[in-house]
Amino acid sequence: MATIQIAGKNIEVDEDGYLVNLEDWSEEVANSLAASEQVEMSPNHWEVVNFLREYYQEYKIAPMIRILTKEIGKKLGKDKGNTKYLYELYPGGPAKQACKIAGLPKPTGCV
Amino acid sequence: MGKKWKIKTSTPKLDELEKGPWPSFIKELKTLAERKPAVEHLLGQMEQSYETNTNYWTGTVLNLDGYGGGVIARYSDLAKKFPEVAQFHTIRVIEPSAFVYSTKALRELCDVSENHSAGILQLHGMTGDILMLGSTNESMHTAGEALMEKGWDIGGSGGALRTLACCIGPARCEMACYDTLEVTKRITDTYISQLHRPDLPYKFKFKLSGCANDCANSMQRSDMPIIGTWRDNIQVDHAEVAAFIAEHGVDFVVDNVITRCPTKCITLKNKKIEIDDKNCVHCMHCINVMHKALAPGKDKGVTILLGGKRTLKIGDTMGSVLVPFMKMETEEDNEKLIDLIARIWEFWGENGMEHERVGEFIERVGLGTFLEGVGIEPDPQMVKHPRTNSYIKFEEYTKPLMAGEASKSPLVTNKEVEGKETA
Amino acid sequence: MATPGKKMAPRDNGAPDYKKYLHPLMVKNYGKWKYYEKVKPGVLKHVAHSGDVLYTVRAGSPRTLSVDTIRKVCDLADKHCQGFLRFTTRCNIEFQVTSAEAVEPLIKDINEILGFPVGGTGNSISNIIHTQGWMHCNLPGTDAAGSVKALMDTLYEDFINERLPQRVRISASCCQINCGGQSDIAINLQHHHPPKINHANMQICELPKTVAICPVAAIRPATVDGKDSLMVVDEKCMYCGACHGQCPSMEIRDPQTDSLAIWVGGKTASTRGGPSFMKLATFGLPNNPPRWPEVGDAVKKILDAYKESAKPYERIGEWIDRIGWKRFFEMTGFKFTKYHIDTYRYARTTYNMSTQVRL
Repeated sequence: MATIQIAGKNIEVDEDGYLVNLEDWSEEVANSLAASEQVEMSPNHWEVVNFLREYYQEYKIAPMIRILTKEIGKKLGKDKGNTKYLYELYPGGPAKQACKIAGLPKPTGCV
Repeated sequence: MGKKWKIKTSTPKLDELEKGPWPSFIKELKTLAERKPAVEHLLGQMEQSYETNTNYWTGTVLNLDGYGGGVIARYSDLAKKFPEVAQFHTIRVIEPSAFVYSTKALRELCDVSENHSAGILQLHGMTGDILMLGSTNESMHTAGEALMEKGWDIGGSGGALRTLACCIGPARCEMACYDTLEVTKRITDTYISQLHRPDLPYKFKFKLSGCANDCANSMQRSDMPIIGTWRDNIQVDHAEVAAFIAEHGVDFVVDNVITRCPTKCITLKNKKIEIDDKNCVHCMHCINVMHKALAPGKDKGVTILLGGKRTLKIGDTMGSVLVPFMKMETEEDNEKLIDLIARIWEFWGENGMEHERVGEFIERVGLGTFLEGVGIEPDPQMVKHPRTNSYIKFEEYTKPLMAGEASKSPLVTNKEVEGKETA
Repeated sequence: MATPGKKMAPRDNGAPDYKKYLHPLMVKNYGKWKYYEKVKPGVLKHVAHSGDVLYTVRAGSPRTLSVDTIRKVCDLADKHCQGFLRFTTRCNIEFQVTSAEAVEPLIKDINEILGFPVGGTGNSISNIIHTQGWMHCNLPGTDAAGSVKALMDTLYEDFINERLPQRVRISASCCQINCGGQSDIAINLQHHHPPKINHANMQICELPKTVAICPVAAIRPATVDGKDSLMVVDEKCMYCGACHGQCPSMEIRDPQTDSLAIWVGGKTASTRGGPSFMKLATFGLPNNPPRWPEVGDAVKKILDAYKESAKPYERIGEWIDRIGWKRFFEMTGFKFTKYHIDTYRYARTTYNMSTQVRL
């Protein structure tokens, strides 16, 4: 396990840079994780991260992509409620990159 | 070969697999290990697996930028001992329809594999992809870039449209009832975004076979098998029939053609074959046996099925009939198919649960409900027989709930059903 | 963690243009083929309405190929086949030539330069399709590639000859997801107990998804040492390992107890009786690398019985349907046990609900 230093705090991350302890998440941590992914957090980026976190707090799972695109469509306008826009915001993908910045668990395997 | 295996990792167990007449994948790996340290460590890790019956790969998800899948990421649990395979990822690459290649194209793939990964290609994976093994977190990007520059594209993984596969079809087979190669490319290109940036509940596979022999194994390894068929009469060349009987004898024809017909629709009269084509179910058996004398009809098209998958969760399923017959020749035919796929994805996408294949979804909500959802009329060809149990729910179908959605189930009402007398 | 490919935008190139990769005679006669003939094992002759003839020579491959070998394959295709070739669904390589005289020199090069056998057509055992195993999967309990290589050594003569009643298709899978597919004979790994849960490492999993993925609802939420975790109701669990794919901390594999089972009678073609699922023939074979000899022995028993009593054009499943399972177990010597009787969905539909018994 590696650690990263954010605001003077040591935070454990796994080999792909996902938080080991989800309660370590803060906005500062998110900004730092985003920087490591070369993602610059705009208000629209935050909409995605905030929704992922709210959903995860309520259901303890990441939402299906379709639920995410619908929600973003509601919040940011219909033209943005699609995967294409999500990948513009997060080229690494909503499941992988946005979840990482939101401090959600890493998606697993391929089956 | 000439060169001798002179790598310091000893692999006595794997060496056993160099013996015997069948080509050895271990030999392939050893050839590469002479210049690719990652392959030496791969062999070292595999040798340890062979000693301990234990696997040492941890799986995760990595993406090329702008893509939601296609890289099968593996980290070695033995990275300390075998650091060269600490990261050892597979890139899935969309294969050409029917697995046809020019040597130029194959050499291109070899060069990318050599320069950006371990030099191992698997031709092909179970889904159909070209598998390029052995990139790292860094080199997967350069490999992806090199592939895409040459016009190749990355395959599917996760809850996505997966890479398609098809049989040799009209390119080299007289039995092909539609252009499997072209339709495969069409579906891929039309829905490439769904392959790269998926939003489906789970994976969705197509496999396309030109006839019921199903050389693409579509029935049991794809969610949507598209299989060629015809709706007019089997073409009979009577001269060739006579030649066949002369060569093999009447008994052979009776034992291996006439009595093997599943609907008993072929008869042999005065050494001539007669076919009751109305009862033919297009199974291909008689054509397979007498392939010079018999051929599929001229009015060709496809039967579309839905719901095949492998064992995970509910057990194995085969596809079942969704569209008994559809022409597959013109631009409009293609448009119809593309539209049908969109309707299926919309209904399943809206109502399917996470990690629920379309076959599992149909089993949960019922085929009747599913048909209503995608706007297809029920047809007796979709079932082996009508239901045998009398517990029928005649009320409106209730939409399955999305996570967190409040229940809005309607009260059960007596709905008028055609042909049913209600009070 | 830097991603050097950052600048890369998705190209969405789509599928490669197969038209560029077709042999010239395939382009010319596309959709206009008339019939084919079997020349000899591994060699097919396709005749077009135009009168053109294309000979296909099918070679077995190890599927996992070094670029060195693929380049040699390309050299052969350049020398003999105008620079074109194809692969089959079962990972065979097909070389094509346009004259009968060109066939034997090609076969000679395939055998001598590549070391690959020619065969796999007609009533033979074609190449075995299999899963990734210990080479690259994250879930395997065995190495399908290894058992397949050893088995193909055993079955080699049936690849290069067409001496079976009908084609035999074999697959191998390294966990109970069975990615290897339905086949006449399948070698699949079998788990023997519920998953072992690593309660200390459950934060990496999405627990509700792991609960939901269980097909028999055997997984329940639990709190262990003050942390959110899961528990498994052992008597409900059928050891399928679906949870393991979702949550790596639910370890289903066990090097001590995992074993191999052999399944028979799967078929994907709609010919004759239609497609069929494979059924359990025998189980409890040791997971015995590097050559899994017990697998080869069991498969040979099945094939010997099949060769002895199947009629022409009968696939293994159709042959067993005709002779009955009683006879199948007698002929192979496998013991029929209570574990052969289904316990999952629709189990009752697999019982013999008639007086039709072979006495």
